[in-house]
Amino acid sequence: MECRAVVSSLSDYLDGRNIWASDDEVEQIETHLANCPACRNLKLELSEIKNAARELPLHTPAPALWARISKGIEAEISIENGPARETQKGSGWWGWLNSRKFTFSLPQLAAAGAFAAFLMVAGISDIFGDKSSQLKFRDVQSLLLLPEEDEIKANLERRLGAINARKAQWDSQRRADFEQRLNRIDESLKRCRHMLEDNPKDAWGQQTVRALYDEKRQLLEDVERLKW
Amino acid sequence: MKEIPSSTQSSKSAAKILTALAGGFLVLTASATSSGAQTFNRAFAVSPERSELEVVNQTGTIKVTAGANPNKIVINARHGDGAAKVEATQNAMGKVKVEVTGRGRVDFEIAVPASSSIDLLSYQGAIVVTNLAGAVRARVTEGDIQIAGLRSARVDASCSQGNVSFSGEVLPSGRYTLKSFSGRVDAILPADADFKLSASSFRGGMDLGEFQMKFDKYSSQLVEASHGAGRASISLWTQEGSIHLRRKP
Repeated sequence: MECRAVVSSLSDYLDGRNIWASDDEVEQIETHLANCPACRNLKLELSEIKNAARELPLHTPAPALWARISKGIEAEISIENGPARETQKGSGWWGWLNSRKFTFSLPQLAAAGAFAAFLMVAGISDIFGDKSSQLKFRDVQSLLLLPEEDEIKANLERRLGAINARKAQWDSQRRADFEQRLNRIDESLKRCRHMLEDNPKDAWGQQTVRALYDEKRQLLEDVERLKW
Repeated sequence: MKEIPSSTQSSKSAAKILTALAGGFLVLTASATSSGAQTFNRAFAVSPERSELEVVNQTGTIKVTAGANPNKIVINARHGDGAAKVEATQNAMGKVKVEVTGRGRVDFEIAVPASSSIDLLSYQGAIVVTNLAGAVRARVTEGDIQIAGLRSARVDASCSQGNVSFSGEVLPSGRYTLKSFSGRVDAILPADADFKLSASSFRGGMDLGEFQMKFDKYSSQLVEASHGAGRASISLWTQEGSIHLRRKP
């Protein structure tokens, strides 16, 4: 594979958009990268930019922004409809929606009903469900990124459950110390799993996630061996 | 001026030295008493071919080295006035297990036959292993691990928070795993070492120094490469620290 071809697919390759590509093509890119320092450097720079971008904080838009956007849409609708707007029942979006005639087929109605029921159940569980069950629900829903991930998680949960049952007997300092270490590993694990979700075929990402699960297992094993 | 005979001078000097030594002894005794330090000394007869040791410590240093006697494991421990309790037992297979329960610092100095297999754990405190030829497994939750002068085919050293350093021979069939979650990983290997390397650092970077290797994968975060025929396997991993590979001078 030539440098030009590799450079043109490098961005997709790093973004994990290479899932459409055959294993051969991916292998060709990787072989080329292993042998071409210039392309390797370019890949390195691109991944550093990508990683740096990922570290940037997410900004939540101010509530006023949505108010401005909705006013803008309303103004646009009123220009489009001109004087006819006067005859509409009510005003604003609701009035505009009311003025429209919608028709649905039976399957569409069934799908909409199912979706509404799902939203209702999700909403109720969000309000009344306890935090741990929510976490478990989300955890189960999360994508398995390693073939053996289910097994790893089950093993860790079993060990953690046994430790949690004894934790009440620990002094507060020991408990805080253990939880801080566990949280630190979990934070890294979360971050690396997100990265792997972006590029599930990335062997290094998989290796890192495995290493972090192993670090967590090791911490739990330490506590077991210390007989806390 | 009358000269003092040399014999008188020397007897006076000897008296001064004795007084100083006695004073020093008193001071030492007093400090040992006031700090409440206790010692734990045990020796176990072992077969040099099948000598095995496991140490589980809560807080404190564990130093293990090859001893002069190839048939004995000699344990010396010093602990403060905490509630820590040291127990050492030997099972029917000859394996020696040393376990600390309760809170308090305990520092170990242990001599073993050079070919012993050892398995060490300390929650808080360093582990230092020198001049052994048997399998080494060392784990510290918080603290450093130093392994030096090794001629072992199996090394597995890992710490959660702390640095790991290894210096020793690389045997052709050897497997060497050095890991630290948040610390630095150092490996100092002979120039003619024959190994396959996998090194991964998420954020700390890597310095692979002077080895001329054949790279299979190369980036700032992951290196897979071989030196020589790539017979031994070396795996270096850190999530937040850096990796340094150097040739033995």
